[in-house]
Amino acid sequence: MHLSHPKTPTAHASHLEFHKLRTLPSRSFIYSYATLSALTATLLVVLILGLLAYQSGSAIFEANDSLLGSVWSPAKNQYGILPMLYGSLIVMVLAMGLALPIGILTALYISETRSETVRRLSKTMLEILAGIPSIVYGLIGVAFLSLWVADIFYLQTGRVILTASLLLAIMILPTIITLTEDAFSNVATPYRENAYALGLYRFEVIKEVILPQAKGDVIGAAFLALGRALGETMAVMLVIGSLDRIPTPAYNILSSAQTITSKLGREIAESAFGSTHFNVLVLMSLILVVITLSLTGLAHILFKSAGSND
Amino acid sequence: MTKQNAIISLSCSLIALICISCSAPNHVSVSGSTTVLPTVSKAAESFKMETGQTIIVNAGGSGAGFNQLGEGQTDIGMMSRDITQDELDRFPNLNFKIIPIGTDAVVPVVSSEIYAAGIRTLSFKDLDAIYSGTVDNWSAFGGPDKAILVIDKEASSGTRHTFMEIVMGDKNALAPGADLVLGANNEEQTALAQSDSAIGMLSHAWMNADVIGLSIKQNGVLIDPTLENIRSGVFPITRDLNLIIRSDIRPEAQAFIDYMLSAEGQKHVANSGYVEKRP
Repeated sequence: MHLSHPKTPTAHASHLEFHKLRTLPSRSFIYSYATLSALTATLLVVLILGLLAYQSGSAIFEANDSLLGSVWSPAKNQYGILPMLYGSLIVMVLAMGLALPIGILTALYISETRSETVRRLSKTMLEILAGIPSIVYGLIGVAFLSLWVADIFYLQTGRVILTASLLLAIMILPTIITLTEDAFSNVATPYRENAYALGLYRFEVIKEVILPQAKGDVIGAAFLALGRALGETMAVMLVIGSLDRIPTPAYNILSSAQTITSKLGREIAESAFGSTHFNVLVLMSLILVVITLSLTGLAHILFKSAGSND
Repeated sequence: MTKQNAIISLSCSLIALICISCSAPNHVSVSGSTTVLPTVSKAAESFKMETGQTIIVNAGGSGAGFNQLGEGQTDIGMMSRDITQDELDRFPNLNFKIIPIGTDAVVPVVSSEIYAAGIRTLSFKDLDAIYSGTVDNWSAFGGPDKAILVIDKEASSGTRHTFMEIVMGDKNALAPGADLVLGANNEEQTALAQSDSAIGMLSHAWMNADVIGLSIKQNGVLIDPTLENIRSGVFPITRDLNLIIRSDIRPEAQAFIDYMLSAEGQKHVANSGYVEKRP
């Protein structure tokens, strides 16, 4: 309590000192501290990228002839990364294809047609959903989702690309809904009021006013979710079947596969540091980081341009 | 609570937290094969009751156990296979010692539905055909007209090394017939139980009512995967369960190794469904 009245004449000496301490950092100190923090953060990113590139550089030379193949067998010096690359991309595309339309429509429904109370409540629930650890989703996937998928499609096993994509879609849905809902709610009321005053129906208001206004933020939200979908390890690893093979035909999403993250999760502990096996795993993670970083960068630019529109 | 008090108590609890993590007793850590794990963790519990020494047991697989030992992240590695030359070459400056604590069999196992439908035995040739993908239907062995769900294990798994070495003649043999690749024993056990047409390779101790072991047909004779047949060496796919140590082992860890080899420790090997090394 006494801290809020530091200038009362009865204030204790030590409190005065404390008050002095609080005002001590000068402008230049704070400035240089902030600069240093920013530089450290940047340096970390550069360092991580540099280390990954350094480690994986030798992999390209050591495993060059097998790298672009589809046979993975470290004991036989075969390091084909295509199945993993394919798995990561198809799982991501499917998950986004499932989650994005549902997420955007849900967000529109919550923000444009429901009351403030419902909006608050559903957002709270969604944020809880977003905070559930991925291993929990993975266990639910193994125990229920994979069995349902196997039953519905008469499969031998439910540990397939479709199951992983469904699970990922469920996992990224909360992120998409909360962020896009924010974007829709942030469209200034006068826009809506003007549109309604012109006699537009609700559907037209959404289509002609809300969506164009919020477009940048929605795309940004989508890219954030996409980054999570690419990087998710535990849940995908448990339900994808871990088979290093591109399905035949390639669009057969009811067969098992492997993603880069599930491969790393299963094998990184078993590969010796510095071995070709390890280096190729690092190379795959570099590819993943580059994809994620460029997508995040893209999302950043879109967020920024949307901000300057207002 | 004032802001100042809050800051003080927060920093106090932080310091306390750091102290706790620093002053953790010098526990012994063991990690590696999920086949060896049940035995070792039971023994670790009774060892702690007797001596007060904490043993922390982690899974990870034979390959990971060896790597962690070599890199100094664990005191004892668990392996359900031998160390490969390739693995030894990774740590040329270290001396490793293999201590067998029990014997186990790797058994071809099937979903209970397949067993009930009459598949009781397979030969090495049959298993080879299934894993290399030339046969993909149970009807080829007199079973129901159902596609075989072939479950393979991760490449560095001890169970896989043993099975592939003995059945297919190469411990790193590829399995183009595989439909799923799984890691730990319990992961494979779950997948077998969930399916009604699966085959996999599993440690003897992990079989149950849903996951049933097959006999091996050799020269017209059926050999059941029983403890007696494993003990006598008649069952063809067996391997040692090993603890791996480095020559610079700490005395606390050595004490646990001695315990594992004592009559008391060997009881846990038998209780887990394996064959003791020192009866």
